[in-house]
Amino acid sequence: MHDELAGSGFTIVAVAFDDDPAVVRPLAEGITFPVLIDREHLLSELYAITNVPTVLWIDEDDRIARPNGVAFGTDMFADFTGVDSEIHKEAVRRWVSTGEVDLADDEARAAVVPLSAVALEARLEFRMAAFLRRDDRAEAAAAHFARAVELAPHDFTIRRAAMPLQGTDPFGEEFFAMYEQWQAAGAPYNGLPA
Amino acid sequence: MTTLTIITDTEHRLGAAIDGDQVLVPEGTLVDLIGWELKPEGLCRGDVCVPVRDSRIAVGDSIDLAAVTEALGAPVVVDAVERLIAIGQAAIDRRQPHDVGTAAPFTLPDLDGVDRTLAEWRGRKKLLVAFASW
Repeated sequence: MHDELAGSGFTIVAVAFDDDPAVVRPLAEGITFPVLIDREHLLSELYAITNVPTVLWIDEDDRIARPNGVAFGTDMFADFTGVDSEIHKEAVRRWVSTGEVDLADDEARAAVVPLSAVALEARLEFRMAAFLRRDDRAEAAAAHFARAVELAPHDFTIRRAAMPLQGTDPFGEEFFAMYEQWQAAGAPYNGLPA
Repeated sequence: MTTLTIITDTEHRLGAAIDGDQVLVPEGTLVDLIGWELKPEGLCRGDVCVPVRDSRIAVGDSIDLAAVTEALGAPVVVDAVERLIAIGQAAIDRRQPHDVGTAAPFTLPDLDGVDRTLAEWRGRKKLLVAFASW
């Protein structure tokens, strides 16, 4: 998609909510657009993101044309989520060629709300935990990870992201436990639906 | 005075003091820490100033980070035992999706460790894809 539209004043910018570039590099193999590392999940705070993958459209003047929403650039996750990326690709092509956005302002406003004070605090707890882990202060790290998860149990950028940092499998039992709780809570998601 | 680690969008280590609810840092360090500095017109970053009428911000030659973050609407968490502080983004940077104005700027390293900023791609439409290995 990037290569197809790059000549039309378009680029994809990918941002990984990961702390280790070595883990991201294999995922970025063969990719011609920039891939950035967001160790502190800064963008989750700036753009109120609670799960990935998610996509934002940002226009030529750096305005957010379409706030974050589920839309996968590949069909890698389609089996799991049932989301078909082709629909979104078509909408992106139209935006690039005509500037037209397939979304009313009030829809966008309703779909993405500012993060609560608690959600913001959870992000800081996560950053502290990740720092303490890097600094080999395991016990303090565990306490801050636990606090972050307690504050934001349904936020994937916190609870699921904390799993590999604590030596648990983010595709394993703990993730499915989280997923079930998330569904039981009404599948809270701060973004445009697919 | 003790050495603190302050996590913003990066890590800083500096001499500071935690005194009750106050977190006192030398005045000159503020701009490097959070990108904002105290001027007569308020807390400023480039051309943008947030007026402050909080007399608690300047404490002698020091600045109370807790009062600064409160004035900016930035979240903060302090762990006095670990001598660790995390500071989030100012309220004006946490953009409402459809506020008039631009997407909050960011600078992040690419896979080669080179810092990239959103402004680099001004003039182009951008599909920002946030993803993760987990």
